[in-house]
Amino acid sequence: MKKNGLKLEMVCAGVGGRGVLLASTILIETAVRAGYHAMASDEYGMSQRGGSVVSLVKIGTSQSPLIGRENADILLAFEESEFYRNLVFLRKGGMAIVNTSKDMLPDNITTLLAERNNKCFLISADDIAKEKGMMQASNMAILGFFSYFRIGPYTFEAILDTLRERTKGKFLEKNVDVFQTGYKKAKDKGIAL
Amino acid sequence: MKVPAEVMVGNFAIARGLVEAGLELAAAYPGTPSSEILPGIVEFNKREKGNIHTEWSTNERCAMEVAFGAALAGKKAVCIMKQVGLNVAFPPLMRGRGKVLEGALVIVSCDDPGPQSSQTEQDTRLLCTLFNIPVFDPASPREAADIAYYALAYSFQRKTPVIIRSTHRVSHAREAVELFPPGTRQVVLSSGVMGQGSKKSAIRNPQSAIRAKLGIITSGMSHSITMDVISELGIGDQISLYKVVRVFPLEKQLIDFVESVDRVLIVEETDATLEMQIGRGNKVFGRINGYVPGAGELTYDVVRSVVERIAKETGIGKKVFVPDSRIEEALQGVTVSPRPPKLCAGCPHRASFHAMSYAYPEAVFPGDIGCYTLGIAQGAVDTCIDMGGGVTLAAGFYDTFSQDNNVVPIIASVGDSTFFHACLPPLYDAIEKRKRFILVIMDNSTTAMTGMQPTPQSGITADGTPTNSLKIEDVVRGLGIEFLRVLDPYDMPLMLNTLKEAQTYLEKKGNTPAVIIARRVCLLTGKGKSQQFLESIDLEEDCTGCKTCITRFGCPALLFDEENKKVKIDDALCIKCGICLYVCPRTEKGKGLSKLRGKRTAKQKT
Repeated sequence: MKKNGLKLEMVCAGVGGRGVLLASTILIETAVRAGYHAMASDEYGMSQRGGSVVSLVKIGTSQSPLIGRENADILLAFEESEFYRNLVFLRKGGMAIVNTSKDMLPDNITTLLAERNNKCFLISADDIAKEKGMMQASNMAILGFFSYFRIGPYTFEAILDTLRERTKGKFLEKNVDVFQTGYKKAKDKGIAL
Repeated sequence: MKVPAEVMVGNFAIARGLVEAGLELAAAYPGTPSSEILPGIVEFNKREKGNIHTEWSTNERCAMEVAFGAALAGKKAVCIMKQVGLNVAFPPLMRGRGKVLEGALVIVSCDDPGPQSSQTEQDTRLLCTLFNIPVFDPASPREAADIAYYALAYSFQRKTPVIIRSTHRVSHAREAVELFPPGTRQVVLSSGVMGQGSKKSAIRNPQSAIRAKLGIITSGMSHSITMDVISELGIGDQISLYKVVRVFPLEKQLIDFVESVDRVLIVEETDATLEMQIGRGNKVFGRINGYVPGAGELTYDVVRSVVERIAKETGIGKKVFVPDSRIEEALQGVTVSPRPPKLCAGCPHRASFHAMSYAYPEAVFPGDIGCYTLGIAQGAVDTCIDMGGGVTLAAGFYDTFSQDNNVVPIIASVGDSTFFHACLPPLYDAIEKRKRFILVIMDNSTTAMTGMQPTPQSGITADGTPTNSLKIEDVVRGLGIEFLRVLDPYDMPLMLNTLKEAQTYLEKKGNTPAVIIARRVCLLTGKGKSQQFLESIDLEEDCTGCKTCITRFGCPALLFDEENKKVKIDDALCIKCGICLYVCPRTEKGKGLSKLRGKRTAKQKT
């Protein structure tokens, strides 16, 4: 199950009812389909809706699905407050994608991220999802953006395949649409890989 | 032949292992983190076209006795519950553990280190050592499937009940688990000294000629975390590690292992169960001498700091993790929205709680276990001890006040599932003894907090087949309650009037507790989704920014707009129930309460 010794630790953080668990499901299943060992751990507390939800995904040689402070390679924040709440997970040099309508994070955070050599990308996933008429699908915009970086098994095509398998019926095409738009946002920014 | 695999949660993995092992009967009471196991059994039974009988029991004791009956009579049975649920099943467990089974009985008890969704931490494994019941402790979903398969056969062969102890980190972890045709699972239990003779393993035990300075003993999810920590710290070549799968009875090899190393660290959840069995005083680093925290979850960070400290003390550590304090410094200047656990926007419980604390702010509010424990935020839940405990505590409070000639309103609350689970003896006890308190039964027609399992009132079984339905009002009436009202908690004026009426009844020496059934279906069920009460009402219109609605009502859809200094409604969350209008101190001016009074009560049927 081990492929090239790759080890990837990812934190998906957001708010209940907004697709954090679907996103992490797609991440773990994409990895499994590509032949990696993968595990996830979900934490959703006592609220049924509207509470903090954190899903940890680890692929590669790890044995537990849990992530230590400053160990995560990737932090996908589906909401800005949850980005701050989970920032301690991000390792030096790790990458973060944050769903926010802002163009810039507060100065002290920007400075911190620069000092710790973190790449941090802001994407207004809610606006993309709203535009496509499916508010709940903002998670897909983030996954689309993330797929641009082709990290480990996470290529555009591989995630899309899993997405097509996991989502059925009328929601599929809208999800795919939002996913592709997220990918394009990253591409249009011309980020060097 | 390649065996197909599927990504699933640990609870489904347990279900899969049991179904493959030839399970015939499963009974459970829902409780986080155990709730997905029975639905998993239903699912795999369907896929395998099996004939397993499944049921959601009224409580854990019923589940265990039904499963015991089947096991005594020759079936392979399982009963499933959370750790505090096991307490409810003590009577059959204590007596039944010595019975010789014709079939097999596996008890799955899921612990909640932390605790995250329970009143208390509690280590099921510790009870097993006290009462002589074999117990297995899986470290991952994949291992949980194997253990479930193995445990059912173990019980069948030895004619004795066995326990599988999962924890929330195993039950709710997700991993690819292989699906074998029933009866053919290749069980791999990795128990014993890890990595012996393997150059590939993360742990390379020093050759037997060299005595290891440090041995580590692990079980369950703590094992998996410890392995990752050892790999991060790069000390795998200097320690020996023993993984325990069967925590009780202990294997003799484990004692030999303890003898073979200089010092030993024990990493386990939730209590010092292995540690107490092993003994050996100061040779051990563990909970007893404070090296491992005495309570709370053993998270990655906790295990890392424990292992680091001990590696340093035993002279084998190289790497030390130093947290970067700049992160906290930078975060100090950032506004992070607090997200305490809350009832959903539009939850009928929130309406009931508002009525209770508005009608009698001075009352004592014994609460209970479920979503509605969150009523604590509205000042309408004072106690939360155990399932059904609210009713009996209310009786105790009544005696206390009446002995001292005090009249204090007592308003207890309980949900529909908990009512059936544990409230009947407390309620008829209170009736017989003329205890005077109000009991609000919050009937949302489901077991909401654990994920929408049916209650005895629902009229459907675990697999969706229709069955008999017991109406709460019939039960309450049958017990002899004189004051009984059934109403919709969204009807705030009626709810307030009824509470007053109930208290008046009690103060005029009513003979029994007063029962109010506040009935409105949970928003998260299919039926609940379409429920909308108001067409359109503007809460923001004459808002003065006093924030009363936010502090007293705490609906997640109420936000405060710092710019305009007014309350703002989050349209994505708001379901337009309109109950917040009753909370606004300005509603007397004609928009909220008085405007709606006639409209709502007219609809009401009692």
